[in-house]
Amino acid sequence: MLSTHLGPSGDLQPWAVWLAVALAMASFGMLLVEMRRRERGGMAIAASGLLAVVALLAAVLRPARVSARESVVGARVVVLADTSRSMALMQPGEARWATRDRAVEALAKAGVNTRLVVLGFGEGPPASLPLSLSDRASSELTARAPHSDLGAAVRALAASPEERPAAVVVVSDGRLDDPPEDASEAGLQALRDELRVPIDTVATTRDAPADASVRHVSAAGAAVAHVPLPLRVEVGCAGGLACDELTVTARELRDDGPPSVLASGIAHVKEGKAALDLTITLERAGARIVEIAVAPPPGDTIAENDRRLVTFDVARERVRVLHVAGRPTNDVRALRQWLKSDASVDVVAFFILRTPTDDVHASQNELALIPFPVDELFTEHLPSFDAIVLQDFDAQPYGLEKYLPNVQRYVRGGGGLVMVGGQNSFVAGGYAGTPLAEVLPVELDGTPGATSADTSSFVPEWTAEGRAAPLLEPLRDVVGDELPQMAGANVVGDVRPGGVALWSHPTRTTKSGARMPVLAVGEEGDGRTIALAVDGAWEFEFSPLGASSAGRGHGALWDGLLGWLMRDPRFEPAQMEVPGGCTAGLPSKLHARMLPAREGSKPQTVVLDVTRIDRHDAPIHIERARPPDASSIDLALPPLEAGGYTARLRIAGGATTRHDFACEAGGDEWADSRPDPRRLEALASATGGSFVFAADAATLPLPKPTVVSAERHVTPIAPPWAWTLAAAALLGVHWVARRRSGLS
Amino acid sequence: MSASRALVTQAGPFPPFARAPPLGYNGPVRPRSLALATLALALATALVLLAPRPARAFGDVGAFDPRVLLTGNQTGPARGSAPARWSWELIQRTSAPARLRPSLVRADDPAIVDGPFLYWSGDSEVAPLTGAEVAGLRRFFSLGGVVLVDDAGATEKGAVSAFGRSARREIARVLPDTTPIGLGTDHVLFRTFYLLRRAEGRVEGPPSLDAVVRGGQAQVIFSEHDLGGALARGSSGMWEQPVVPGGDVQRELAIRLAVNIAMYVLCSNYKDDQVHAPFLMRRRALATP
Repeated sequence: MLSTHLGPSGDLQPWAVWLAVALAMASFGMLLVEMRRRERGGMAIAASGLLAVVALLAAVLRPARVSARESVVGARVVVLADTSRSMALMQPGEARWATRDRAVEALAKAGVNTRLVVLGFGEGPPASLPLSLSDRASSELTARAPHSDLGAAVRALAASPEERPAAVVVVSDGRLDDPPEDASEAGLQALRDELRVPIDTVATTRDAPADASVRHVSAAGAAVAHVPLPLRVEVGCAGGLACDELTVTARELRDDGPPSVLASGIAHVKEGKAALDLTITLERAGARIVEIAVAPPPGDTIAENDRRLVTFDVARERVRVLHVAGRPTNDVRALRQWLKSDASVDVVAFFILRTPTDDVHASQNELALIPFPVDELFTEHLPSFDAIVLQDFDAQPYGLEKYLPNVQRYVRGGGGLVMVGGQNSFVAGGYAGTPLAEVLPVELDGTPGATSADTSSFVPEWTAEGRAAPLLEPLRDVVGDELPQMAGANVVGDVRPGGVALWSHPTRTTKSGARMPVLAVGEEGDGRTIALAVDGAWEFEFSPLGASSAGRGHGALWDGLLGWLMRDPRFEPAQMEVPGGCTAGLPSKLHARMLPAREGSKPQTVVLDVTRIDRHDAPIHIERARPPDASSIDLALPPLEAGGYTARLRIAGGATTRHDFACEAGGDEWADSRPDPRRLEALASATGGSFVFAADAATLPLPKPTVVSAERHVTPIAPPWAWTLAAAALLGVHWVARRRSGLS
Repeated sequence: MSASRALVTQAGPFPPFARAPPLGYNGPVRPRSLALATLALALATALVLLAPRPARAFGDVGAFDPRVLLTGNQTGPARGSAPARWSWELIQRTSAPARLRPSLVRADDPAIVDGPFLYWSGDSEVAPLTGAEVAGLRRFFSLGGVVLVDDAGATEKGAVSAFGRSARREIARVLPDTTPIGLGTDHVLFRTFYLLRRAEGRVEGPPSLDAVVRGGQAQVIFSEHDLGGALARGSSGMWEQPVVPGGDVQRELAIRLAVNIAMYVLCSNYKDDQVHAPFLMRRRALATP
């Protein structure tokens, strides 16, 4: 657009122009004051004076004709549209995301003279959001974020090197993570200070759906195995739902059976909300998934937030180990001394010191022997132990046989079990064909006449998996590849599915022709088991090898074995996590950080099996080649149903590592389904912006455009000397007029 | 140990001994007829043939071995038959396996570290240990080994012999930063299997034992009672040494002490576990004086 107007000479600064105008007006004003005292000739003096002042001003300003090509540039307005999952909730008539999109379109129409940039906020910096999405796909694309972090979006905008916006408009349901519900005005003003522009807000709705939900679950402190953990459960009712009381239940998802009820109570709802304190006790360490659920009243429209799945990372105060030995030997001595030397291990030991055939030559009262409390240990006290060590122990004479199903359930429920060799272990101990044999990592031959032991001495051999196993890394650090000579071994069968042999017999083979495992580990259900089919581990202390390593090999071996049994991260082949969490129905990924592969090792395959904790479905099986030198790998998970899941990762056929995680249908974003327009209104008020509901989005005042000039030409109306001459002439006329009326 | 305490206190008392698993049961078997006996024999034979074969030799390496420690010009223990008898008594009375042919090892032999126990006995002064012998014993102790020093020359009046004095002197050279202390009858050594009221042996000696305790473990136990003398039994089946002044009763108590020492070596302080405490206190109170 071409425009022409008059203006002062281009070499004058604006302040000089204003100074000249001010001096001219002041001169003329003083002349008028002077003229008030005159009775004649006043008009002539005033007129000539005015002309002289104007001529002088023109001589200074030297007027010119200014021609310019101008354009109107709209102000940059950033629309931050909420893309969190709460925007997928329904409000009367449509989903919140649909209202949001219509509000954004209305803003776009109203702001034709603005440069409207629409970004979606949810988690982290805002991302570009396409306009005009009006089909169902829009919901999937723009209502997925697991959080609604407006603060992070504003801070990212402020830190951006792009042009600072002239205005920010937030379109949301108001259920934000940041700023929180109870944010102070100062906290809200801090957002304005980030960008130094007002924040206008548009609320999608004011209507809450009819919904009862578990809004928040918090624990007082960290979860520790066997220690009661207080929970505070906040529940709520909204949308006119009638609920005076809500029954709240806490259940642990278990893969050895149905969920076990940990606690329950009734929450008394007042003004639409209630808080209930529950105390739960988790017996097993590691990741445990607890379902907190309410029984919704009739009319509840959102079933997904009736339960929350909370993952507790349960720590151990001390590892409680039940050490049962069938007879005292050097191997029992060595293991007991190691267990007792570790302050983090709480040992409950029972050794069989006398059998029915022993003749003690004494009365009962002269003996320091107590009965073996097999009933109590393997019924009521069993869950209190983190691990059981059965060392050279025969199940039959002591009545343990009838409790072996308990031990099986204990292992599948997350317990650890070690069977250590000896003349009363494995097949010789009568364990073949029992429920306990089903959870051991090796098969046991229960046929009549089966050989129970190989009495020829041998030196165990490392398997490839044993060399790579992190749990034997401490031992290898102490003794290298050397292992002591064993006097014999219990005869065991092949490694069971899910098990791994770490040491094998150099000559003896199983029925399948494989080398007989001597040390094997395995996972069974939620628990882990170890089979050590020799009773010579004590020779890591007392032998030439033991002497050369200061006897540290025995402790290093058991440190790894017990640590692996207790899922000590040091001995896991990988650490897993699901970044961003898992939302039911949406794809997610599992990130695994792996131990570095040994130099020169063969290409490795990473195998992932994902199974439901509380349901025995076929696992989701994923296999990927490990990239060379990669220390981590991302494995894409398909959309999963809501529930608890176990991911088992195996690298190059080694021992598995496990990670439990929950997939929630509602999650944090649906926990409180009520919109919060008040928070948006407070934000607008605190930052100097305006607040409207979506229906009035078009009325939101937007900043005016800026005019930008280009190709500017300045042409003087007259040369400077002409203005000076005119000013001199008119000053002369004014002087003559003043002389004639008697003024000097 | 808090966990053990919880186990006991929460569970209440264990079942009475009469209902306990057959730890204490040793009743005789009386076949009612020859036919029944024959049937039982046939059944037993079948069971033996069909049952998984136990590993008889498997595990002997880890059995209790009263290894005889030899120093200087020693060629054997003061009581030659005592170590084997010690093993025999242990096998007969307890579930612990033991070597009926105990081995001998010299203090400067690398094999000194092949097991956790050494039996050092004598009745005359021992020669000062050589550097290699001191080094061998230090290696043994550094691994947690236990030595019983048995003074076979102790007199009936309880006087320590030249062996006892010289052995203490040499142990002090091996473990210079330690001093023997008395082990009263409240020490776990006196209740590892039998409940004992005092130390015993061929001679009455002092009621307690002395020991060098390192890391909470009695690593060197000094007996001034000639324990081996009470154990020694010839091939004819006759006891080799008279036991004074208590005779057979004292010998039985000495054997019990030997069993307790073996159990201490194999189980360390197992009987100190909290779970045993209420039983042992009750039984001490019931035991005849």
